[in-house]
Amino acid sequence: MSVELKEHQLMLHQMVVDFAQKEIKPLDMVIDKEKKYPKELWDKVIDTGFLGLIVPTEFGGANFDVVAEAQTIFDIATCNASMAFTLEGHFKTVDQLKKYGKQSLKEKYLPEANKRIFGFGSTEPQGGSNVMGHTANAVKEGDYWILNGNKTMITNGGLAEVYLVLLKTSPKELTCFLVDKDMPGFKYGKQEDFFGMRGTPVGEIFLENVKVTDEYVLGKIGQGVEIGDDAHYDARINMGAIAAGITQHALDIVLEYASQRKAIDKPIIDLFSIQNKITEIAIAKENTQLLYEEAAKLKFQGKPYNKVATMAKSYGSRAAFIACDHALQVLGGYGYSKEYPVEHLLRDARALQIAEGSLEKMVIEIASAIQKERA
Amino acid sequence: MKLNIVVCVKQVPVSNNLKIDPATKNLIRSSEPGVMNPFDKNAVEVALKLKQRYDAKVTLLSMGPSNFEITLRQGLAMGADEAILLSSRAFGGADTLATGYVLSEAIKALDDVGIVFFGRQSIDADTGQVGPIVAEFLDWPQATYISDLKPINEQVIQATRLMENMEQTIEVKLPAVFTVRSELNEPRYPTPRNIQLSYQKEIQVWDEKKLNFDKDRIGIKGSPTVVRKVWTPKKEAKVVQSLGQTPESAAQKLLVTLRANNII
Repeated sequence: MSVELKEHQLMLHQMVVDFAQKEIKPLDMVIDKEKKYPKELWDKVIDTGFLGLIVPTEFGGANFDVVAEAQTIFDIATCNASMAFTLEGHFKTVDQLKKYGKQSLKEKYLPEANKRIFGFGSTEPQGGSNVMGHTANAVKEGDYWILNGNKTMITNGGLAEVYLVLLKTSPKELTCFLVDKDMPGFKYGKQEDFFGMRGTPVGEIFLENVKVTDEYVLGKIGQGVEIGDDAHYDARINMGAIAAGITQHALDIVLEYASQRKAIDKPIIDLFSIQNKITEIAIAKENTQLLYEEAAKLKFQGKPYNKVATMAKSYGSRAAFIACDHALQVLGGYGYSKEYPVEHLLRDARALQIAEGSLEKMVIEIASAIQKERA
Repeated sequence: MKLNIVVCVKQVPVSNNLKIDPATKNLIRSSEPGVMNPFDKNAVEVALKLKQRYDAKVTLLSMGPSNFEITLRQGLAMGADEAILLSSRAFGGADTLATGYVLSEAIKALDDVGIVFFGRQSIDADTGQVGPIVAEFLDWPQATYISDLKPINEQVIQATRLMENMEQTIEVKLPAVFTVRSELNEPRYPTPRNIQLSYQKEIQVWDEKKLNFDKDRIGIKGSPTVVRKVWTPKKEAKVVQSLGQTPESAAQKLLVTLRANNII
């Protein structure tokens, strides 16, 4: 940990570590195999108040800042990356409601965010990051907006009950709306069957003539791209924390295994080739942690954080994948076996190079930010 | 008038590397970060459950240096309503008798206290004496080593005492003092919201001037205990025990033995 946590943040950190180690870690492989969170665990996550971590206290939440949020995501990811990913998807959505929601909408929905999962719908079947190519739309009729179209690949899609969606309000503008699963015309679509992060549901929603008032518009008409970008940047801090968490998880497994497994009467941790891999895993974790913590600190201080957050996700996602590959190699056949957790860490880590913006998009954004700094 | 349930909690060191002062043979309680004594978490949990049953309030009480506030905040974050820290140099060096005296005087000063909970013992000093001493000072009934607890009515609580070779179920008339075992319950996690709110609550700090303490009964002066030697006892040979004539009685005895030794 490179940032110094305040006393109440430290108490939160201790509680999260305690909860994650006792309640989540024993179910890590069950979550991957069954492709869902056991109900008892999910109820505990909600009852313990994790969903309200960043919800302001006046709306029944805990009002922790971004530094504590990222620390929480990391602590959970060291035990199960899917659960951390689910919380990440929720937090980035809640964050936009906090920033851009009208007071009356916040009063209605921020208390809900303590108990119900939120999701952010941007991607459509024909396009992800190219938001202007989207077709889902909102048309104003009298006092109401009529929402139509579908959004896919939504983190928590199917599990989430409240969504922020980016919809076209004219050919060249996107606007952000809040929709609730209980609204007439809201329908769930198909669930993805992904290779990794199998606990986190990713799915599709359909809007068929869903009717909402202006109250449900976040920010201004046409501000959707900005809100979408903000959600991505907020998410990337936590994606870095998930990457560091997975890498830490891999490191924990490798250290335990390599200390016990013997080759010619000596633990394999004494072999240079194994030490080499362990060192690379440890460096990957430290570097990723430094990046996401720096991004969180900048955001907390109100300074520009987009570039560093994008670096945390870009570097962390590749480093975590390579680290898990090293871990798999150290464990040999056990690493490749589905009876042990390393192979699912490798699959989980692979998701990070795609979710919340592809690695290729990260490169464009970081290069552009660096060029702007020089100009 | 709301029933006040008091939980006495103690901060213990995080690490197992306890150091003993060679001169006094007392534990060195440095500024090392501490945590709430694990058995005290069971005490807070049972108090919070009874809070709902009796519509009561839960007050935490601790004696120690100012850094014990962290443990009190942990209790507030679990859901306790108020916290009082008895803290003064004058209380320093207290043995279990002087500690029990100060805690009991503080309890007497609080309104409407009907139940006092302690953990069965602290994991650093391991005496298990302070709860019973407080009960004696208050002249209230006491029930120690509680593994099960059921409120019968507003005045009576049914409690099961789990001891090495027996279980004993008794009814205790309130007001009373209970010391609880870890078998009693699974302490709840502090919620993030309660953690945040616990840092907005004020912890009252009472020193020796706050109450009319007998100065001869507090701190080192009030502590007759003299520690001559501290050592780790040698482990003796295993005890062979007959578990009874029939499979049923053997199973029953085995169950009690395993529970008493915290194996199950």
